[in-house]
Amino acid sequence: MRIILVGYGVVGKGVTTIITRKYANNTSDYGFNPKIVAIADIDGAVINPRGLSPQKLEEIKQKGFPISKDPDFGQPNITALEVIRTVEAEVVVEVTPVNIKNGEPAISHITEAFKTGKHVVTTNKGPLALAMPALTELAEYNNVYLRFSGTVGGGTPMLEFAKRCLAGDKILAIRGILNGTTNYILTEMSQNRISFQEALATAQKLGYAEREPSMDIDGFDTACKVVILANWIMNKKVTLKDVDRTGIRDVTLQMLDEASKRGNTIKLIGAIDGDKPTVKPTEIAKINPLCVSGVLNAVTFSTEYAGEQTLIGRGAGGIETASAVLRDLLDIRHRLANRLLS
Amino acid sequence: MKKIVMKFGGTSVGTGENIRHVADLVTQYAKDCKVAVVVSALAGVTNSLLEVACQAKKSDVKHIENFTKKLLQKHIEAISTAIISKQIQKEVSQITEKTISELEKVLTGICYVGELTAKSKDYVASFGERLSAPIVWGAIKDHKLETQWFTGKDAGIVTDSNFGEAEPLMNYTTHLIRERVDPLLEKGVVPIVTGFIAANQDGVVTTVGRGGSDYTATILGVALQVDEVWIWTDVDGIMTTDPKIVPSARMLPQLSYQEATEMAIFGAKAMHPRALGPVIKENIPVRIRSVFHPENEGTLITKEADAKFTEVVKAVALIKDVAMINVGGAGMVGAPGSYAKVFEVLGKSGINIMMISTAVSEANISMVIRRNLVGRAVSTLEIALLGKGLVSEVTAEDDVAVVAVMGANMKGTLGVASKIFSTVAKAGINIRMIAQGSSELNISFVVKEKDGPTVVRAIHEAFGLDKI
Ligand SMILES: NC(=O)c1ccc[n+]([C@@H]2O[C@H](COP(=O)([O-])OP(=O)(O)OC[C@H]3O[C@@H](n4cnc5c(N)ncnc54)[C@H](OP(=O)(O)O)[C@@H]3O)[C@@H](O)[C@H]2O)c1
Repeated sequence: MRIILVGYGVVGKGVTTIITRKYANNTSDYGFNPKIVAIADIDGAVINPRGLSPQKLEEIKQKGFPISKDPDFGQPNITALEVIRTVEAEVVVEVTPVNIKNGEPAISHITEAFKTGKHVVTTNKGPLALAMPALTELAEYNNVYLRFSGTVGGGTPMLEFAKRCLAGDKILAIRGILNGTTNYILTEMSQNRISFQEALATAQKLGYAEREPSMDIDGFDTACKVVILANWIMNKKVTLKDVDRTGIRDVTLQMLDEASKRGNTIKLIGAIDGDKPTVKPTEIAKINPLCVSGVLNAVTFSTEYAGEQTLIGRGAGGIETASAVLRDLLDIRHRLANRLLS
Repeated sequence: MKKIVMKFGGTSVGTGENIRHVADLVTQYAKDCKVAVVVSALAGVTNSLLEVACQAKKSDVKHIENFTKKLLQKHIEAISTAIISKQIQKEVSQITEKTISELEKVLTGICYVGELTAKSKDYVASFGERLSAPIVWGAIKDHKLETQWFTGKDAGIVTDSNFGEAEPLMNYTTHLIRERVDPLLEKGVVPIVTGFIAANQDGVVTTVGRGGSDYTATILGVALQVDEVWIWTDVDGIMTTDPKIVPSARMLPQLSYQEATEMAIFGAKAMHPRALGPVIKENIPVRIRSVFHPENEGTLITKEADAKFTEVVKAVALIKDVAMINVGGAGMVGAPGSYAKVFEVLGKSGINIMMISTAVSEANISMVIRRNLVGRAVSTLEIALLGKGLVSEVTAEDDVAVVAVMGANMKGTLGVASKIFSTVAKAGINIRMIAQGSSELNISFVVKEKDGPTVVRAIHEAFGLDKI
């Protein structure tokens, strides 16, 4: 399967690492042969229809050069959009930075891929949070697949669990801790009895939080994931602006102490329960299976017949998220094979 | 008096001088034959028309003006050298200007609508021949011959509405052509018909697609029941091989339809098999000959190859833009339908297989396809078949070429294959794959591309093709 990788950051590198470590030279064992034929980032691209060797590219990047400086296959003057349009491939893996203002450049990348008959796997929440109903319709119209496991739960298969394992049941509500950074901050505050500002500073020092932390602490990241869950699992046509959202800036030590006296704690919970999806700091029992600490994520699906099911796992990380990309690629491969042989 | 359709290709009418030369030839033959002429567009014009039409979808009107100005200039130049009489020059120039101004309107329309349908594409493409035919007409008239030019549509070539690749309604076409063109021919007038273009029953312009003007010539030949169809071109005829590879390559005086078809498929610079269709049915011979060496008889293509000409092998061709795909897996052995799955997957992806070879063990199948499709072919085969217990490996070699050895008399002659392969072995070259159709008209095999010319030269020599 020929793949165009758009974005060669943490997740992009994770994808190439897994493909080279696991699949290269083991095609017949796995019955799957993913081949990266182009990688595009902001400074051009490398293109080789026979498949690229990521090792060499990593060395180029480590020396501080853009990958398009590759002497054999580098093309410094081509944009990601042109690569998507012109390079032959089955799938585009879109892993550029998230943008929740207008979803670009990812929305353009994804729609261009659709127009040229290419399937898309993305880990980028931006386009989905802003335009998920539109993008799923376009994918269907063009007879291609759009997959995005890595957007919610990182490597933890939250979307597939609900969609596949709970098929046949009815999911009534979804509640979850969907952002590792805020969960780390809240855990630090209550366990070490420090203020929000101090906990944020620690998180930033450890690399859990960005220098510009609004995306996480104001609940945007969680809200994006709620939108994806609502659309994909509960068939609700909602976008980011439909989410009722409150971040954790105003959670105080005092509030945490009081909750603790009741055997509870405060977590940033994203929920789809009733009409309006919400994101807000919520008091939950410490014995609730949802109540995980540190950077962990957790989600509870309330179903009509099977009761409550909770999934816990690491919600982010380059290699974890890349593993979700591979899962999506295999899913697309499986569906394409059925199409070709039906 | 012999009746002949003569078709002149793009290079033959490429410049004013060449057109003048074409008129000389027609005049010469018209002395003792009834001649009908089919002309292509001036070399390069059809492609440039299609290009500008594609661009017109998005480009500005300025671009179109530039294009039509250049096109007019090119044709006016041709007119001034092809035709001597000022009076006729003027007449042809007026037709040309009128036609180009119509083209400009069409292109502008496409530009504003922003859409290029197959229908409008055919219409734009038709201008190439609509511009060349009047110049040829003028040049022949200049020789004091009576002549009249027709578009394919006006001549009476009626096709289905499959734009870009239209098929003639042969009986209806014959009926109309006999009514409109034949009487002129009988009166000694030289009819000139634009190649490539025709019209559907509603009069909407179509093009015949693959085979092009050659196809028009054979359609006309059949309708007019001519004695021969002559395809005038820039080569002397069909050669034993590409003279660029073997300088001592020879021209073949005669071939059967079957051999010519086979050679065209294998890339010999000859007619498209589609164009041969009409004449095969009616058994009308086709002659391919050079405008630049009219003293040579060229290659005559007929039903049966000449009995005098009994060479077992007649030609050897090298086909370069190909790749070989190997699909292998122990699971394929004895599994019913395993090959069918391979073909189904390639078929569904629109990939045509040119050559197939399998082992009796069934553990492997090799195929040759066009090189530009190799990435898609490998990828789709892997997606569909890998890891299901059937296929364990799909590999490709894109540095290969096919060598095709052809000749109708290979059929039933013992030892041809062994002579071919021992010749290749003597040259120290490894054969990657072999296939022979059961028609026994050819044996094809795959070698590394770099070895291709050596193999072709060796076979050409071994079978004495330079002495034909
Ligand atoms: N990291 C995680 O744990 C994780 C988990 C889940 C989801 N995600 C999502 O996955 C996506 C990728 O994350 P990441 O951590 O890999 O980000 P990253 O390290 O910042 O990498 C982003 C890559 O995209 C490239 N890029 C930026 N603008 C581009 C453009 N206009 N055209 C083409 N390429 C462009 C960047 O190129 P330069 O390097 O040249 O700037 C870089 O290679 C993000 O949307 C993120 O939210 C990440």
